[in-house]
Amino acid sequence: MRIVIAEDSVLLLDGLTRLLTAEGHEVTGYKTADELVAALGPGADVPDVLVTDVRMPPTHTDEGLRAAVHLRSLHPRLPVLVLSQYVEQRYAQELFAGDVRGLGYVLKDRVADVDEFLDALTRVASRGTVIDPEVVAQILARTRRSGLETLTPRERDVLGLMAEGRSNTAIADRLVVGLPAVEKHVTSILTKLGLPPDSDDHRRVLAVLRWLEHTPSNGERP
Amino acid sequence: MSFDDSVPTTTPLPVPAGTPATADAPTRVLGPTGPAPTGPAPTAPAPAPRAVTTDDDLRVVAPAFANLRELAWAPVSGATWRAVSQVVVGSFGLLVMAIWLSVALSLAAGLLVVFLVGLPILVFTLWSTRPYARLERARLKAQVLVDVPAPPYRRPKGPGWWPSWVAIMADARTWGHVAYVIVAGLLMTVTTALLSVLGSFGLALVVYPLLVAVLPDTRLPAPWPLLVVGGVVAVWLAALAAQVSTLLQVRLARSMLGASPQDLAVLAAQERAARAEGRAEHLAETRTAAVGAADDERRRIERDLHDGAQQRLVALGVELGVARRTATADPDAAAAALDHAHREVKETLAELRDLVRGIHPAVLTDRGLDAALSALAARSPVPVEVVVPNATLLGTASTSAQAAAYFVAAEALTNAAKHAHAQHVRVEAAVTDGRLRLVVQDDGVGGADAHPGSGLDGLRSRVAALDGTFHLESPAGAGTRLTVEVPCAS
Repeated sequence: MRIVIAEDSVLLLDGLTRLLTAEGHEVTGYKTADELVAALGPGADVPDVLVTDVRMPPTHTDEGLRAAVHLRSLHPRLPVLVLSQYVEQRYAQELFAGDVRGLGYVLKDRVADVDEFLDALTRVASRGTVIDPEVVAQILARTRRSGLETLTPRERDVLGLMAEGRSNTAIADRLVVGLPAVEKHVTSILTKLGLPPDSDDHRRVLAVLRWLEHTPSNGERP
Repeated sequence: MSFDDSVPTTTPLPVPAGTPATADAPTRVLGPTGPAPTGPAPTAPAPAPRAVTTDDDLRVVAPAFANLRELAWAPVSGATWRAVSQVVVGSFGLLVMAIWLSVALSLAAGLLVVFLVGLPILVFTLWSTRPYARLERARLKAQVLVDVPAPPYRRPKGPGWWPSWVAIMADARTWGHVAYVIVAGLLMTVTTALLSVLGSFGLALVVYPLLVAVLPDTRLPAPWPLLVVGGVVAVWLAALAAQVSTLLQVRLARSMLGASPQDLAVLAAQERAARAEGRAEHLAETRTAAVGAADDERRRIERDLHDGAQQRLVALGVELGVARRTATADPDAAAAALDHAHREVKETLAELRDLVRGIHPAVLTDRGLDAALSALAARSPVPVEVVVPNATLLGTASTSAQAAAYFVAAEALTNAAKHAHAQHVRVEAAVTDGRLRLVVQDDGVGGADAHPGSGLDGLRSRVAALDGTFHLESPAGAGTRLTVEVPCAS
């Protein structure tokens, strides 16, 4: 794959470049968001996946995120994996406001778990959605929506993994259960929450996220 | 260099903050307050001006009635001659004023009844007593050494000429000035008459026997010693009269020309209130600055951790991940990655150690400022001489005071090495009179400046929050001297 990395820490950029090169990818690194935006301007050759840090020079706030949103509007099919030092729901909301296909938002710390990171990268590159478990946990903890309490603990686990953007197979692997068991849980969850059954992973993520984010007015059936 | 002669007691010059630093003014004082002139913070309200008692006036103006010696020597006493001269000079002023007032006031009264033009004349006449009162108070101060405080006049209730006219006409004090001219004028008339009669009669009696002795064909009406004694007594009585009259006039001036005790109390209270307000403002400012400095510090620590240790640890994770993935397939690559990772760990540890020390050095907590300053000196690339005359006494200062001194010293040493290119630095810390005083002096290029946002600026806020003073002298080319004082109890 052709991978573009925007990361201001030279050390981490070096490490990632070596890791990904060793994995057989072609890597280009940028140290500021401006360089990144300039390199991937209109008409530029779009890479297979873009990995960017949120906090970058010159102001060290959210340049990387804004660059990612900007580049997504420029190249709607550009897969982007955003690395963040902190889990900020505001950032996640901005990022996932539009099409969630080929988008990822994970904690920077996850990079240290190389297998996990490479998996996330592959999923985003193949137009999947990756949301950090921390973000999902925050959303789950925050949601006041009725219906959630009708789920069994196991179903809650599955819901979390669905929100992270995982496929049924990945969920089965993660929970060490068979695929049919996962499918049964998913159907049960979707029924309980009143969501339409959908085999498409990204549409399912979207539905779950929207359901968790949206707080209905009183009296509305969940 | 002994300890004592190396510590001149410098008092920060009051320089308004915001005064542009000019090239010929290398000394900048970084005071704790904002726009007000800075200096040592006011700690206690000044005592109210002491009320003058009748006794004080008696001693100054009429000492003959305060002690026997003065009573005996009344005719040759300085107070007597001051009294006589003030009677002479004061009489002229009173005479002029009495004529002016009687003419102007009767004119005003007459015209007031017939036409209203009397009103402006009345107002002007009343107003004219105020400069006279000022002059009279100044004269009394100059001639008889009595200080009569100026009274507060009634303020106009609004803008425009009518309210100010009303304020003049309704002001009791101004009418008091008029009364003074009348009463003091009568007093002067009596006094001058008495003094001329007693004085000339007494002098004549003393001189007469001498004239008789010189001139032929004259005879004394009585034995000459009797005449001389009578003359001395007359002069003596004249002296007492002068003193009494002056005392009376001073009392009149106090009640009719000056501020009343109530006025003085109000003025004193206002002054105290203003001081308290200034103090409150100062506290609010330093508190805000301290909160700001603490926030800046937290941001700096967050930035340091984020850009430093956190990135290093993530990179370390990546290296270890690479090592694990390649361990079997490519042992050489794995070994190289582990090597990388190992270096990474050591560098992260060093960075964390520095960062932790920057937050609060353990040695300061465990061993106090003396040991912490020595540790700072040992780490500095520039040779540092630490002078602590009494380490035990230094240890009695509060932890906040010691910490402030430590961080000022740390910043000053960093600047000395990084910016001033100093060859030698002297750090001195001592406790005197309940204040912890730190002086850092280097022989570098000078020109240091605590501009907003600088490390020194943050420390200045920290010192100000402890009610301390921060004094930076850094003339270009002549080294830098930083003096900080904080109360030990803070």
